[in-house]
Amino acid sequence: MLRLTLAVARKDLLLTLARGNGLVQALLLGFLLFFVFSLSQGIGEHTSPQGAATIFWLSSTFCHVLIFSQLYALEEVNNARLGLLLLPAPIQAVWLGKSIAGFSLLLMAQAVFLPVAIVFLGQNLSGALLPALLILLLVDTGLCALGSLLGALQGQGARESLMSIVLFPLLVPLLLAGISVGSQAFGTLSPDGPGMWLKLACAFDAVFLAAGLLLFGFLYAGDE
Amino acid sequence: MLKKPDLAHILVVFGCLAVACCQWLVYVYAPSEVRMGFVQKIFYIHLPLAWWALTSFLVVFLGSIFYILKRAPGVDNLCAAAAETGVLLSGLALVTGILWARKSWGVWWTWDPRLTTTLVMWFAYSGYLVLRGLDMPGRRRNLVCAVVGIVAFLDVPLVFVSARIWRSVHPAVFAAKDGGLEPEMKLTVIACVLAFGLFWVGLLLLRKRQLDLRDRVEALKNMA
Repeated sequence: MLRLTLAVARKDLLLTLARGNGLVQALLLGFLLFFVFSLSQGIGEHTSPQGAATIFWLSSTFCHVLIFSQLYALEEVNNARLGLLLLPAPIQAVWLGKSIAGFSLLLMAQAVFLPVAIVFLGQNLSGALLPALLILLLVDTGLCALGSLLGALQGQGARESLMSIVLFPLLVPLLLAGISVGSQAFGTLSPDGPGMWLKLACAFDAVFLAAGLLLFGFLYAGDE
Repeated sequence: MLKKPDLAHILVVFGCLAVACCQWLVYVYAPSEVRMGFVQKIFYIHLPLAWWALTSFLVVFLGSIFYILKRAPGVDNLCAAAAETGVLLSGLALVTGILWARKSWGVWWTWDPRLTTTLVMWFAYSGYLVLRGLDMPGRRRNLVCAVVGIVAFLDVPLVFVSARIWRSVHPAVFAAKDGGLEPEMKLTVIACVLAFGLFWVGLLLLRKRQLDLRDRVEALKNMA
């Protein structure tokens, strides 16, 4: 199963990155959010660390919705979904493969968003970086587990806007974890530290990785 | 000729009567709270609304699991009815909660775990109801909604814990010591919860019956 999972991920990454517009749409949307939010600063003012972390995760979340919409739209052309369904592996290989591809693309986008946050929102990385890196990976894992599960709605008549409506409320715990630890990385002092948020993000990942494995087969089918 | 009333109608009528009787307990029997005065009476409406809204979402969760296992169309209609009832009750709980917050804490909104969880559930199940209105084959839509119904409820404890870590100011309603309610207040709130429960069951069954009838009419239209 792992070999076919990696094959699905590789296929999605190749199809997304090798094409002209690849990740451009998602990146542009993220940039725009940073730019628009930077307008809220007066002359000589800087956005607070918590505000900057919120904008970073908001951009990442919108970017993530576009990434998974795009990944699942790949198979909607010429009814190619049936090809994936005929894969000689459990259907969960598709979910996991797309999660891995989405995770890689999201990390690439965030590698661009971080310097943008520093430049546009006047931040510097003066806090603890290891917990921030850990929470980034944990939050991205949760985002991609749930994104890959609900991204399958893309082929069921739902559009990106609907995916956002269903997905965003469910992501609240992860976003709070990302924002809290992110603001600490940007210099906010917190007496509680990042420990509780790291545990919460781990719990979220465990719940939704299990939910994805169990439920994806019911969402992604060719019986309509 | 008048049709014999069924269980749903009887429960709704008795529920309405019980809620009306509870008003005597609320306004005459229960003492006024010293600090908040008359506004504290909101609590006797707010608590049952919030509890039965959460129960509605629990019904959606359990019904969705049952639907995925057995594929019974009646269960899907029960989930739809419970989601509609839950969104209605949680919406009302939010409005009453906001009024309470303004008087009690001096703000319209605060990041309290229970308020936040109710708001996130309201968002998630509103999205679920939008999903139910999508134009896709009936059985497919039911399955997709069942998956979302399960995933949305899995998020409840995580949202609650994350909002608690973020910050909390909610009163301890049934606290064993240091605060809590006077015995008369406790009796009144228990009576209100039970009366609302009667009304809730009746409303749920009535709505489910409407949805069953709608399906039968649709089936007859398709046959004609």
